[in-house]
Amino acid sequence: MSNSDIYLLTTLLVYTGVAMIASWGLNLQIGETNVLNFGFILFEAVGAYVTAILTLGPDTGNGGVQQYVFGAVLPFPVPWLVAMVVGAALGLVMGLLTVRRLRGDYEAVVMLVMAVVAYYAVSADTSLLNGSEGLSLIPAPFTGAVGGGPNTSMTYRWVYVAVVALVCVLAFIVVNRVTSAPLGRALRAVRDNDAVAMSLGKDATRLRILVQMVGGALGALAGAMLVQWVGAWAPGSWTYPETFTLFAAIIVGGTANIAGVGLGAVIVPGIILEGVIFLPTFGPSYLTPALQWILIGVLIVGFMWFRPQGIIPERRRRFPALAVPGTAGESNAVQLVDLEPRRS
Amino acid sequence: MSQFIAATGFGIVNAGIFALAAVGFTLQFSVTNVLNIAFGAIMTLAAFVAYELNVVVGADIWLALIIAAAASGILSVLINRGIIQPFLKRGTSFFGMVVITIALDLMVEYAVEAIWGPTFLHYNVAAGSPVTLGSLSFTHFQLVAIGISVVGMLAIHLLLKRTKLGKAMRATSCDPRLSKVCGIRTSRIHDAGWFLSGMLAGMAGVILGLTLGTFSFTVGDSYLIVIIAATMLGGIGQAYGAMLGAVVIGLVTQWSSLVISGGYSEVVAFVILVAVLLIRPTGIISGVAADRNMAA
Repeated sequence: MSNSDIYLLTTLLVYTGVAMIASWGLNLQIGETNVLNFGFILFEAVGAYVTAILTLGPDTGNGGVQQYVFGAVLPFPVPWLVAMVVGAALGLVMGLLTVRRLRGDYEAVVMLVMAVVAYYAVSADTSLLNGSEGLSLIPAPFTGAVGGGPNTSMTYRWVYVAVVALVCVLAFIVVNRVTSAPLGRALRAVRDNDAVAMSLGKDATRLRILVQMVGGALGALAGAMLVQWVGAWAPGSWTYPETFTLFAAIIVGGTANIAGVGLGAVIVPGIILEGVIFLPTFGPSYLTPALQWILIGVLIVGFMWFRPQGIIPERRRRFPALAVPGTAGESNAVQLVDLEPRRS
Repeated sequence: MSQFIAATGFGIVNAGIFALAAVGFTLQFSVTNVLNIAFGAIMTLAAFVAYELNVVVGADIWLALIIAAAASGILSVLINRGIIQPFLKRGTSFFGMVVITIALDLMVEYAVEAIWGPTFLHYNVAAGSPVTLGSLSFTHFQLVAIGISVVGMLAIHLLLKRTKLGKAMRATSCDPRLSKVCGIRTSRIHDAGWFLSGMLAGMAGVILGLTLGTFSFTVGDSYLIVIIAATMLGGIGQAYGAMLGAVVIGLVTQWSSLVISGGYSEVVAFVILVAVLLIRPTGIISGVAADRNMAA
């Protein structure tokens, strides 16, 4: 492969990995728990900004070309971890503000509005995060160890892909544990019927806030990984329609199925949005992005109509029925029920 | 003081445009119970259809407005018949419907970009001399915008209160099944709701393009959030609440720019919205009195 092919391919892989982690985070919220977070992109934005100011150093650096608050130089994994903590904290705030008080549809609109408010506030205030121009020259991590950065070394690009892949595997393990554990069953119970879940002693509000925090941490991690790859971050990177590419990934892949959502992230943000870099350019420069968005719209409507469960549907979880007194005669036949067993 | 008056003038113009759009958005929601995000894209499409008629064909802008508004109404009915109703009949959830209208929004908005491109366009109209009312100064188009909005609101009021169609619309929004039992053909009422809402969206889109001077394919969506804010502020599904919300948002965003940087005016509007929703999640107008007497 020529260097330019590697350049494009590694970009595609990093974007796909980032989108996958973000989609898993969003799926925990909308897929598993029915928290309709239309402002999810805010988590990614926060993660990216936190990582940026924790790696850029004081804003007098780089000749003072940009203004921002704080500013520190922390070693590699620390900014990502701090970003996750801040993402979780933001999830807690959003959860406390919305989930506790508002019905689903209002909650969805308020979260969307929060993302829009943040967009305008960050754009308007230049001293906070350099306004609408955004931050740039954000250093890449572990350049010293690899001996080169993303723009100088192809080895570095593969190393970054490997790191993203590793984080994806870790995120998969975490999300898989959460959804298959009793906690995951409680989340789906809240999703399917929160009154019943509450009557069984599950605190629906706490669970909703919890997925806001876990999803927020994952979204922030995705933003952190993305920003150190591209080296720049501005309000234009996280306008609110960006959330809908993740929605599309979840709907196409399969809501509430981790493998499905991963596949959706490969298809929608990966192949459809980033894969075009391999195609020859055609028409005016605005035409391709416009057609991509139209295609995403068609995919959403098409899947909602022809295959609402997505490519890989949610697993129907089956559990052996508990022995019911008085039905001992059939006890040898393993009876399967769709309901979750309740331990007394 | 003069700055305050100027800001109030701009605020009234914005309020007029927001009111047209917000009433359309909220009527459609109250009659059909679908939160139609594609509303913003329909505004955009109308603005561009009017551009095509006005600049390319050479029609008068007011004729272009009427045709664009009617076309938006028809497109809305087609969207309802072709996409929304089949999904509703299948029992798609409220959230699923929102996602579908978002997808429609993306499709229409980017189809506009694919056809007309991303550049800013303007209508072929003579600017005319500014009109001074007391110490307020308006352009010709701003005055017409206010006029259309006032007439539009009055027409909506009369429609809802004085006509059989309006009565049927209010009944359908109140209890669709009971309305059906009473002999109201609710599917036609839904069509009427979509047509009316699409028409108002189209009018708002063209007037927005006129008063802004230049506009691009994001014009509808960039205002949709403000329109949703106005709608929810007044109490979603409430026609009069939407008018009130539009006035509040229109004035407050302009007044706030006197105190803090103009870049924050949207932030102020949204902060008010979030605060209202947290304190009084049903919006300003809610409750039995509103349901029975005031709105659709």
